[in-house]
Amino acid sequence: MRRVWIGLLVVAVLASVWYGVTRRSPAPPAPGGARGDSAGTGLKAVRLFFASPDGDSLVSETREILEQSNLHERVAALVAELDRGPRGGGVAALPAGTAVLHAYLDEGGGLTLDLSRAFEQGFRGGAMTEYAAVASLVRTLGANLPEVKRVLLVCGGAPLATLGGHVPLDQPFDVSEWL
Amino acid sequence: MAPASGARALIARALRRLGPPLLALATLGVDGRAPRIGETLESAPTREVSGTTCVGANDLARLLRATKFWHPEVRKLILRAGPHRIQLTAEDPFVVVDDGTVALPAPVMPVGGELQVPVALADLLPRDSTLARLVFDPRRRVLVVAPPSGVLGSARVVVQEGRTRLVFEADRPEEVVVVSRARDHFRVRFGGFFSGSLPDALPAAALVQRIRPIGAAAGSAFEMAVSRQATGFRVVRDTRARRVVLEFTREPSSEFTAFAPEGPPGPRDLRVVVLDPGHGGRDAGVTAGGLVEKDLTLALARQLESEIGRRLRVRVVLTRTEDRDVPVEARAEIANRARADLVVSLHFDGFPNAAAGGATAYVPPATYSSAGFTGGAGSLTVLAWREAATRHAVESRALGEAILSSLELRGDGPILLRELLPYPLLGVDAPGLLLECATLTARADRERVGGRAGMAELAETIADGIQAYQRNE
Ligand SMILES: [Zn+2]
Repeated sequence: MRRVWIGLLVVAVLASVWYGVTRRSPAPPAPGGARGDSAGTGLKAVRLFFASPDGDSLVSETREILEQSNLHERVAALVAELDRGPRGGGVAALPAGTAVLHAYLDEGGGLTLDLSRAFEQGFRGGAMTEYAAVASLVRTLGANLPEVKRVLLVCGGAPLATLGGHVPLDQPFDVSEWL
Repeated sequence: MAPASGARALIARALRRLGPPLLALATLGVDGRAPRIGETLESAPTREVSGTTCVGANDLARLLRATKFWHPEVRKLILRAGPHRIQLTAEDPFVVVDDGTVALPAPVMPVGGELQVPVALADLLPRDSTLARLVFDPRRRVLVVAPPSGVLGSARVVVQEGRTRLVFEADRPEEVVVVSRARDHFRVRFGGFFSGSLPDALPAAALVQRIRPIGAAAGSAFEMAVSRQATGFRVVRDTRARRVVLEFTREPSSEFTAFAPEGPPGPRDLRVVVLDPGHGGRDAGVTAGGLVEKDLTLALARQLESEIGRRLRVRVVLTRTEDRDVPVEARAEIANRARADLVVSLHFDGFPNAAAGGATAYVPPATYSSAGFTGGAGSLTVLAWREAATRHAVESRALGEAILSSLELRGDGPILLRELLPYPLLGVDAPGLLLECATLTARADRERVGGRAGMAELAETIADGIQAYQRNE
């Protein structure tokens, strides 16, 4: 019986020491300068798709961004990262300054993505650029938001027939076709 | 867009294996700009001397860029090229190369005052950057200076268990490109000069029924007739063993790529060809290096109009003949009203990175259907007006393959075929494609198409493709 008590005491001491150590040791700094434990927001790794240098495919990049609470914020954060451009070997595929105005997800997984005017006005290039812009958006949203099944792109609150005259934007893109 | 049917899922999987919606991708040699057709390699004729294929010593010296020293007293000819020394002796099969001696299959023979050297010497010379590499071309019976892209050797055919393998020895296995995936015209381009020979006859059980060399601006290209029993192919690039294996299978397998869908055989009935010069008016399209897409598309359409008119008995209709805005609906209406058998929307590409170049075709996808138009039972799919072109997906794809193949072999690659209903084909009820003929943001492409001659050549190349599509041989 005495042995059991001593045993429990040892366990209790060890546990309190371990607790004290873990409490006192500073939390490891979160990458990117953000504190992982502050204000209830965590860091989340996201996969971003940019155009490949020769324009024929996409290259992906993993980046940690602050986790957002709602869909609009999450979509906006992803598009903002795409707009920030690649850090690796990719090529920015979105017209500069493209931002999310609204994002609406219907029950069937159809995402209507309302982009700022810069998306249309900032576009320069041919079909390769246009295809890369759409592919970069659709694949990035599909890879990070499993609830999104289709993406319809609109601009400034109005439907957009096409960006540069090569890829039709009047119908939603099926995410599964771009994965 | 579409509920996935079995076939559709299969195709989707095949596409995924090939990367993001991307079907065929080809790149040109690593040496950058490909030589144009007609730009031949430096060569020398050979002749038979007592049953041995020989090259004259003067030609040999020229090809090796060597200086000749003739020593009549000992009947020796010394060739010096860079650090190398080659000593030939009349009526002697032994050749001193640098510090060693090699034996030829027959002696070096004096004929008409010039030494004739067996071409077998080419394989016995040192291989380094200081000495030109010589290769005997058995088909043209000439000795040639191998290009920097290397050499492609003879093809070996292996037939076993429902699979047929064509094994090529290749200096640059990584450069092989499947240019056309149609079974009747399965085309492959290799990096390097073809110095081998092709089998005279293929085994009856082989899935490849015929193989013949075809012209290519760079490397060596072949066209094969693949049996209808074959279901797929794959290309194995073995860089370590310096080998390329083209493998064809009878049994469907996820490791193999499917062939292009096929329409009925025989010439296609072409009466009306509609050419759609992209952009116009306020919409200039791509501008780069002083070139404006809307002007180039119109100039090309005019060239192509006369080129096609010269070759085929067809009516050619242009959707615009001047610099003006034409809405996509109006373009489709012109094509439909003309009862087009073919619509080619002409464009020139542009990309933020100058490394991107070449030609891309966008064809209506064979599996396209819109979720909103699928019938209640899930079996009946009603095509919307906008998607009329998808009815002609198989033919459009064949057209895309034919034109891209023609462009690639002419040196206008890399080529890319994408299955995506392009904007200019919305509402078009005919086989068609959007063709990005070249990339204006790439300097090499700009220089190629910028001049009048370049535009005429481009028109010829596209017309070749249209003609090949029409013949459907
Ligand atoms: Zn265009």
